[in-house]
Amino acid sequence: MRDETSILTPTDHTPQCEQTRARRRLLCALVVALLLLPAAASAEVKIQAYALPSNGGYPHDVAVGADGIVWYTAQPSGQLGRLDPASGKVELVSLGSGAAPHGVIIGPDGAPWVTEGGTNAIVRVDPTTREVKRWPLPEARGYVNLNTLTFDKRGRVWFTGQNGVYGRLDPATAAMQVWDAPRGRGPYGITTTPDGAVYYASLAGSHIARVDLDTGAATVIEPPTKDQGARRVWSDSKGHIWVSEWNSGNVSCYDPAARTWKTWKLPGDHPRTYAVYVDAQDIVWLSDWGSNAIVRFDPSTEKFETFPSDRRGANVRQMLGRPGEVWAPESGADRLVVYRTR
Amino acid sequence: MSEPAGWALVALAAMVTLASTARADAARGERVFQRCYACHSVVAGETKLPGPNLRHVLGRRAGTLSGFAFSPAMIAAGAGGLTWTRATLDAYLANPQAVVPGTEMGMPGGLPSPVDRQDVIDYLAEAARSSTTSPPSR
Repeated sequence: MRDETSILTPTDHTPQCEQTRARRRLLCALVVALLLLPAAASAEVKIQAYALPSNGGYPHDVAVGADGIVWYTAQPSGQLGRLDPASGKVELVSLGSGAAPHGVIIGPDGAPWVTEGGTNAIVRVDPTTREVKRWPLPEARGYVNLNTLTFDKRGRVWFTGQNGVYGRLDPATAAMQVWDAPRGRGPYGITTTPDGAVYYASLAGSHIARVDLDTGAATVIEPPTKDQGARRVWSDSKGHIWVSEWNSGNVSCYDPAARTWKTWKLPGDHPRTYAVYVDAQDIVWLSDWGSNAIVRFDPSTEKFETFPSDRRGANVRQMLGRPGEVWAPESGADRLVVYRTR
Repeated sequence: MSEPAGWALVALAAMVTLASTARADAARGERVFQRCYACHSVVAGETKLPGPNLRHVLGRRAGTLSGFAFSPAMIAAGAGGLTWTRATLDAYLANPQAVVPGTEMGMPGGLPSPVDRQDVIDYLAEAARSSTTSPPSR
């Protein structure tokens, strides 16, 4: 590959005869074609769906570990599901009476961590023993409608509560703090950038916010579109914050260093952008309820590509992945769907 | 005390008990409504939330509140005759997808407890009568 690239680099500026130039153009065209072939192959997407058991369906959020095991929240039945994609086998772990889990991520310890909205607690499930450990929110806070969580680079869990809070748990000490969100109800998706900054989106508040990791203070950052309904956020490798805008049907991107925004409307007549996830190649994956599809966006070309679901009302509420895989829980179709890019 | 007067007292006591029970249920319903609060309001004029304002929802045709962008599924349900009564609201809250397939309401499990459902419906009914309904307490 290095040799082929060097051929494309115009380093020789000495005059040449026309025949030599023609041969060189042909060679360049051949090399360009060879270079594009692997790129085209990597752009191919293989889609596979996994049906879920009826007593553990309606997946809300999903997370895949480095080992390829997939965990999902079966919200109506109060369980955490575990899918082994190699066998298709699904195991269900009860999160206890009254549970209605919303978010799930894989922590730095390799375990699934859950925002357990039904019982107002942060929950860890041991991936080996299936032991369920709980950190309830302070009683005085009341029900906060826990939504999503993320780890910072100091081993602490940050979480959102849609009723107007965000908080932090240090699992090492069990210390938990909960703060009122600056504009009340709405905190929804949350993400950590590669340099460790934490941002959340406020759906009802139509903004994103950056959290001070020491003081816990949240600074509101306004997207350019009014009342856009910022639902979820995800960071790319450069620390740019990608935002799925539910009301506007946009995807937007905030550059924290330049403090600038870019915004794109999803394809279709009435897009409703629910989930956003940015993969290891900085390709942006979105779910659009308006077109009942997964949408892939390449920021370098600003082109969208749509993958309609083959089920009505698939209702993908979140996406997560690992290199080469993007997982989408079809809550309305009782399936986990993976988009494999290699 | 004459017999009619005695019955009147009993009836009055029953009415007081019923009224206080209703109040207690609505009060409990306010706590249940915290599960809905992130997306819905019962405060007059409070819009721009992810879900429609639920003030005066009882008696309203589904998917018809002016100014809210309902899902096609909810609009179709309303066009098909679905009106929010205590019974239809109870069924919807028990299993949203069964009553309105394709609804966008982000509460797939609904409210499993029949008591919770009745209490929150009481709260919605009371909110419609009140001129000073405030957001639910934390």
